[in-house]
Amino acid sequence: MTTFGFLIKSMFRRKLLVTLSMLSLTTAFLLFILLRSVAVLFSGDFASVSDVHMQTASKYAIILLLPHRYGEEIAAVEGVRAITFASWFGGVFKEGDDSAMTFAVDPSTYFEVHENYQISSEHLDAFLELRTAAVAPEAIMERYDLEVGQKVPVTSSIFPNINGEPWTFDLVGTYSSENEVEADYLPFLFHYEYLKEATGVSDVGWYTFTIEDPEKASEIAHIIDSKFENTADATKTMTESEAMKNWMSQIGDIGLMMNGIIGAVFFTMLLLTANTMIHSYRQRIPDLAVLKTLGFSNNKVAGFMLFESLLFCTTSAAVGIGIATLALNGIGPFLPTGFVLAVTGPTLIWGTSIALGLGLVIGLVPAISANRLVIVNALHTK
Amino acid sequence: MALVNLESVWKSYKKGRDRVEVLNDISFRVNSREFVALMGPSGSGKTTMLNLIGGLDRPTSGVVTVNDVVLNSLSSGKLARWRSESIGFVFQFYNLLPVFSARQNVELPLLLTKLSRKQRKKNAALALDIVGLSDRARHTPARLSGGQQQRVAIARAIVADPKILVCDEPTGDLDRSTATEILRLLQILNQEHDKTIIMVTHDPKAAEYAKRTMLLDKGKLVSSLLQSEVGAEVET
Ligand SMILES: Nc1ncnc2c1ncn2[C@@H]1O[C@H](COP(=O)(O)OP(=O)(O)OP(=O)(O)O)[C@@H](O)[C@H]1O
Ligand SMILES: [Mg+2]
Repeated sequence: MTTFGFLIKSMFRRKLLVTLSMLSLTTAFLLFILLRSVAVLFSGDFASVSDVHMQTASKYAIILLLPHRYGEEIAAVEGVRAITFASWFGGVFKEGDDSAMTFAVDPSTYFEVHENYQISSEHLDAFLELRTAAVAPEAIMERYDLEVGQKVPVTSSIFPNINGEPWTFDLVGTYSSENEVEADYLPFLFHYEYLKEATGVSDVGWYTFTIEDPEKASEIAHIIDSKFENTADATKTMTESEAMKNWMSQIGDIGLMMNGIIGAVFFTMLLLTANTMIHSYRQRIPDLAVLKTLGFSNNKVAGFMLFESLLFCTTSAAVGIGIATLALNGIGPFLPTGFVLAVTGPTLIWGTSIALGLGLVIGLVPAISANRLVIVNALHTK
Repeated sequence: MALVNLESVWKSYKKGRDRVEVLNDISFRVNSREFVALMGPSGSGKTTMLNLIGGLDRPTSGVVTVNDVVLNSLSSGKLARWRSESIGFVFQFYNLLPVFSARQNVELPLLLTKLSRKQRKKNAALALDIVGLSDRARHTPARLSGGQQQRVAIARAIVADPKILVCDEPTGDLDRSTATEILRLLQILNQEHDKTIIMVTHDPKAAEYAKRTMLLDKGKLVSSLLQSEVGAEVET
């Protein structure tokens, strides 16, 4: 027998209780890793989004519309190069599905502003020519099994078609982006004019424009926003990367919420396992007194208790993290491209720190009590 | 020089506001290789005295010297170390650790030594052999009889080869014939393995195995007689 063997055997003195406690702590760590990986995904930065592109949207909410005339006023601001606009259409391609990214745009300016999008001149010409034409990115084509040349029925709860039938677009082309991450979030595009004629809507969702000097971004944003400041349709202008971060941060609140859940889970675990540990300590008072009698010092016996609780927590953490890693690897192939769910370095560091911290906190009371345990009193209680 | 030497030892415990005087001015010596029985009514302070000799507790005043070491002045860490090297303990209720096998229980004190794993195992087996329990090495305490458990406890007490064994009512929980076996074992350890033994007992028959009997009453040492004198004392 080694001291380590001795400690392990002492720890599993009550096999079922310890195993069950460990199992619940393992589950907490599993949950922690899974939730955190999702939270990391949500707060992931889209570093590659350009600062040359700026966006003007309603100050209050992205779903509120802006007057059409704002376009000209923004275009007139010095430093603004090309401008275009888009409206959120919220198209649903398949019954029961969530709405996919679907924008009503001005085709003639849209690709001028988004010069990083790649579309063949053939497809662009076809798009410009036909009022009911639409172009789709690879991701959407693949997801809904679309082909260039077909008619695509699309429904929208924001803009229901007047006759109640789905809207029908002629898919005339496809486009893509050099940026891999962005490529997965490209919208399905169709003529704003078509929407306007059919529904009478004349406002637009937001304006996107390029500027000559990225350094001047905040200056330009300020000029534009102060122009409309005191109107009913006040605006908020940001660079596209800011806008993306802004949007992500709203989802990021979910990340915060998840951290809250994780916190609550661990707090509960803390109470439960601390209870188990103290209980197990009480039961072992006679044994600890015997160890001290045999010559194990106060510190050694305290160390045993601390070691036990650390081992308990780190083992649970290791198993939990292990299972989480396997699970995430298993889920990986079923995620849309661009989504990466993986146990990241910081998550691992967090997990390890929590395990160690938890072990210390839980082990502290038993360790101190064991240290102070007076042999003659403890033997006396028997 | 005596192996165990108590000089004007006083011991009192605080109980709330009151002080309970347990030992009053005790002085006595135990020589090397002696086998001493300690008798007296319940509550007279026998266990307390044994605890002082074994370095489990400290006197309120007076000096306890064991094997030339003054125990009063040792830090608790040093005292623990000293216990592991110098004293073997045997209790009435055996106090074995329930999840460990007999051999592992015996090996426990050796975890504090520098012995190799192999050597520890060997010494534990040897100690079990001395107490005649080699064939029960793998049994846990729950699967052993009271007498067998006490043998394991004795093996644990001698495994680190201490000079002194302190035994607190080692036969108190055993029937007569089992008690006799345990006492014979202690006698062998005393006579053949040169262990100095101080044993608390309520049983005059058990005390007969010792060479000397000390009588404690209300914290005072009232007599100390050689075994040959005990009978004479009773007659008069
Ligand atoms: N740790 C302690 N704290 C307080 N009082 C104690 C403690 N240990 C012993 N006492 C008291 O000291 C007195 C003597 O106790 P001790 O255990 O030494 O007696 P004993 O002679 O061994 O008795 P018994 O034959 O019943 O075992 C008792 O009154 C007991 O209540
Ligand atoms: Mg007693």
